[in-house]
Formats: sequence, C-alpha cells, structure tokens
Amino acid sequence: MSSIINIQRLSKTYTEKGSNIRSTALDDITLAIESGDFVAIAGPSGSGKTTLLNIIGALDTPTSGEVVVDGTLLSSLNSARLAEFRLKKIGFVFQAYNLVTTLTAIENTEYVALLQGISNKRRQHEAYQILKDLGLENCVNRRPGELSGGQQQRVAIARAILAQPKLVLADEPTANLDSRTGSDLIDLMKTMGSTLGITFIFATHDKMVMDKAKTLIQLHDGKIIA
Amino acid sequence: MSTFIKIAWRNIARSPARSLITISAISIGLCSLIFLKGFVNGADQQMAENYTGLLIGHIQIHKKGFQKNMSVEKSLGGLETIKDALRKTPQTAVFSERVKDFALISSPEGSAGILLLGVDPVTEKNVSTIHKRVNKGEFLKKGDDDKILIGAQLSGNLKAEIGDKVVIMSQASDGSVAAAAYEVAGIIETGAEEIDKGLAIITLKAAQSLLVLNGKVSEIAVKTGSLKEVDAATKILKAKIDQAKFEVLNWKEISPQVYQWLQFDAVFTNLILFIVLLVVATGILNTILMAVLERTREFGIMLALGTRPGQIVFTVAAESFFLGLIGTFTGALLGTLLVIFFGANGIDLSVISNALNTLYYDSIIYPRSGWIDIAIYSLIVLTVSITISIIPALKASRLSPIEAIRHI
Repeated sequence: MSSIINIQRLSKTYTEKGSNIRSTALDDITLAIESGDFVAIAGPSGSGKTTLLNIIGALDTPTSGEVVVDGTLLSSLNSARLAEFRLKKIGFVFQAYNLVTTLTAIENTEYVALLQGISNKRRQHEAYQILKDLGLENCVNRRPGELSGGQQQRVAIARAILAQPKLVLADEPTANLDSRTGSDLIDLMKTMGSTLGITFIFATHDKMVMDKAKTLIQLHDGKIIA
Repeated sequence: MSTFIKIAWRNIARSPARSLITISAISIGLCSLIFLKGFVNGADQQMAENYTGLLIGHIQIHKKGFQKNMSVEKSLGGLETIKDALRKTPQTAVFSERVKDFALISSPEGSAGILLLGVDPVTEKNVSTIHKRVNKGEFLKKGDDDKILIGAQLSGNLKAEIGDKVVIMSQASDGSVAAAAYEVAGIIETGAEEIDKGLAIITLKAAQSLLVLNGKVSEIAVKTGSLKEVDAATKILKAKIDQAKFEVLNWKEISPQVYQWLQFDAVFTNLILFIVLLVVATGILNTILMAVLERTREFGIMLALGTRPGQIVFTVAAESFFLGLIGTFTGALLGTLLVIFFGANGIDLSVISNALNTLYYDSIIYPRSGWIDIAIYSLIVLTVSITISIIPALKASRLSPIEAIRHI
C-alpha cells in the first residue's frame, strides 16, 4: 500500500502574543500513514494531537519540516490553494459536531458537496442515501438543535464522507457522546472507511477508539512515543 | 448561492429579538427620515406659498431699475406687449397690474410713512391672498375709488377705524403734490409687521389718478400654475420681454433672504437626516457585528470545510440585505402613511402661531412628500444597511479557521 501522508521532521512552536515565551506543540515528528488506514493519534491533553491533525488537514502550518498529503506538499500552497485542497481532499469531523445551525441535516450533509459544485440533484440523492445508511432517514429535515449528540455527529460524518475525500480527520469525535453511541459511531466509520477506501485519522484519548484503530500513534509532549 | 441565501435568511429567524431590534431601528429611522422630510417640505412649501401668495406673487415685471429705486417716474407704459408675452407663456396662469409708491398717511391722531399699493380689486384676488387677510370691514370692490385698506398696526397708530378718513400724500409723476382723502374700508392683519404696520391699499384707478400716471402702472404681478413653474416661466419671460427696458424678477430674486432661508432650512434638514442615517447605520453595524461574533465558530467551521471568503462575505451581506429590505419596506410604509395622515389632517402648532406667522409659516403644517423622496430615502437606507455590513462580513471572512473553531 502507498502512503497517503508523509511527514518529515515536523515541528510546531507557538509564541505567546506579547511575550517571547515559546511552547513546542510538535517536536521533530517523522511519520507515514498508509492509504485506507484507520489511525488513532492518542495522547494526553497538550500532547499535540490536535495540532498534528490541523497541520495534516491544512488548517495550520508547521514551523519546520515537510508534510505531504496525497502527493501534495502542503507548504507549496497559498491560503486559497490550501482552502481548495481541504475542500477536495479532506473531510472533517469536529469534536462538538459543528454543524451549520440554520441548515437541516440533509442540507448540512450536502454542504461540502455543494462547495465542490456537485449538481443539486446528485448531491440531494447521495445525501439522502448516506443519511439513510446512517439510520437518519427520519431526521433529514431536522435542524441540528432538534437532533441528539449522536445524530449530529453522524450528520457530521455524512457531511465529511459524502464528497468521497481521500482523508477524513476526526478530532475527538466521541468526546461528547456516551460510550455506546461513541462505539457505534467508530464502527460505522470503520465500515465506511473500508467500503469507500477512505483513510480515517482520529485524535483521541478514548481507549475504546484506540482499541478499534488499526494503527495507533501515541504522542507525548509533541513527540511520537509509540 | 442558494444555500448561502438560505443560511442568511434563516439566520434572521435564529435570533428573533436581535433581528426585530435591527428591523425596528431601520424602520423607525427611515420612517423618521420620510416624516421629517415631509414635515419640512410641507412647512417650507406652505411658507413659500404664503410668502409669495400674500402680496409678492411669483413673478413681478417692472420698468428697469424699479426694484432698486421705487418711484412713480419708473412706471410701465405699453402694457399690451408685456401682457401679450404673459398670455403666450403657458406657465403664467394669471396676472394683475399694480401701482406702488411710498407715501405719507395721516389721520387727525397721527401720520406715518407707508407703502401705497394700488390694485385692481378683481384681478388682484387671482395673484394674492391679501383680500383674505381683511379682518375688519371688507376688501375693495370695483368703483371703491375713495376707499382705503390699512394694516392693523397702522390703524392702531393712526387711531383710524372703519369709516374714518385718512389722507394720503405723495409726489405725482408730473412733480406736483399728490394728496387725497380716503375712507377706511377695511383693516388688514397678516402677522407680518412690515405689512400690518406700513401698508395701505387703494384701487388701481384711484392710485393712477392720485399719482397722475395716465394709465401707467408700477408692476405686473404674475402667478404661475405652481411654485415649481416659476423658474421656467421666468426664463421664458426674460427671453420674451426686452431686458434693456424692463426687469422680470421672480420671488427668489425679489426676496433673496427668504429664498436663502428656505435653502438653509433644506441644508439643516439634510444635516439632521444625515445624523438620523448615521444612527441607523450604527445600529445595523452593531447588530451585524454581534451576529458575526456570535457565529465566529460557525464561520470557522465553514472556512475549514473549504468555504471561500467571498461566500462568507456574501452570506453576511445577504443577511443584512434581508434585514434592510424588511426594515426599509416597513419604514417606508409607516413613513408614507404618517405623511398621508398628517398631510390630510395637519399638525396643529397653533401654540406657537405668533412666531410661525411672523415667518409666514402656517399654524397647521401639512407634511408633503413626493414618491421620489420616499424612494431615494428607502434606497439610501437599504444601501447603507448593505454597505455597512461589509465591515463585519470582511471580518468574518478573514477569520483563521482554527482560532474561530476554538472560539466559545
């Protein structure tokens, strides 16, 4: 299998505004992730999981080192190209569901596909189909406020995978869910990952998620320890 | 774009109280703009109509130099040419001949310098409203060549009442002393001091006879169809009437101070309107900024998912447009209804009628607004509501997705 992600000597340091105090979030990380893998990046709070995920997702830039995602060197892209890259290659699932509150479940699901310019008819059909597959066919016209946490997170997953990205990044996707719902959700993503050939990367400190991952990367103080 | 329009539209319902406050601010602001403009328009138009209608008329035609140096020597002859020009000018609805001269009026109790006006009792009623201001006695009739009307204050100063005799003295056009006695037939009260204190009116025939004018007159007072036609009529008459011999002056040229007052009033009103507009704009800016701040996280998510900054700007501007559209519609409707209602029923300001009358304003003001005024103000308010939203819209579009997502 080929690598979808290649990271060479990645470091990220933050300087506090108004002072010269620097803190290291990621320290000289070298990493490769195979296409289609189901990866959990684990570690305690402040270990650099979210920072690593944000850099892989082209939401943040490294202080040094190289990140290549699906053959693209991220540092070679300007902000507009990075936005386009995120739109076309990456699906995001955030911790706090983060749906657009004024859109219904099906409209939220369609959102990324809409930005990609997929035709109205096709994306509506596919959005309904995917929501149906996720057991949400009765909730398609409900807004986020009318959905439970688990249902919202499933809509977020539907939104992330509808446009069939190469990579889905999920930051603590089970953090706000009960263990049963969280476990079902991870199983669902695992199934979809293998069915659709999508690489899933989770940032988590949930042991259940770590146990279900094919590959586990453990971070501590910005370094890979296992 | 439809999804972004949908997001914008639904955001209005997302925080009903905030949206209602914004819509109310826009509505009340626009309603105030329209009503205020209507009120000032109405008051100024009434003032201009009262001022010109009372005695001056819309246009006056004299022998050249008469306006600067009023004297019987500068009387108009050859009236037919001028009358012909007037008849052929579509805007000049009616006109009346007058004699004007400075004179001395005396009674057994005193004397005073006055402006003596000789008018045709029939045609004068077409060009001025002075006949409506006779509060004691009655206006002159044809053949009342031995009668006189005097101002109320003048009547008090001379202690001359209806039926009393007064004597007018002046210099006739042939250089002789002109003097004649007249019976007071009416007392004029206008509220304007210069008229009430210093005007006497006799018939045109009596004035021509007194001043030995041999059929000549001092001026022809002209009334056009409306004040709006004055400029056009003046232009036409100036072209038709020999400017080397005669002067054609409209009311703005005769009383530049009154015209300048109206212009100052318009500028002052526009300044107030501008301040109201600023308040409205600040209200909109504040609300949209709050709305953007409240949705920082959501904009962060949208940007992270690949939404282009331009699409964020569009969403915020569209929301502001919808708020502006609803606010503008209700504001324009309310403002128009207020102008229509008070335009028909008037606003009674009789508690300050003395001050108003002195300035030729009516005690009851009838607001007037043209559709163009309403359309312009509506368009300005709508444009301001969209333009002002660009600031928060740009702010939202320039958010860093990571920082925005972390925003609580």
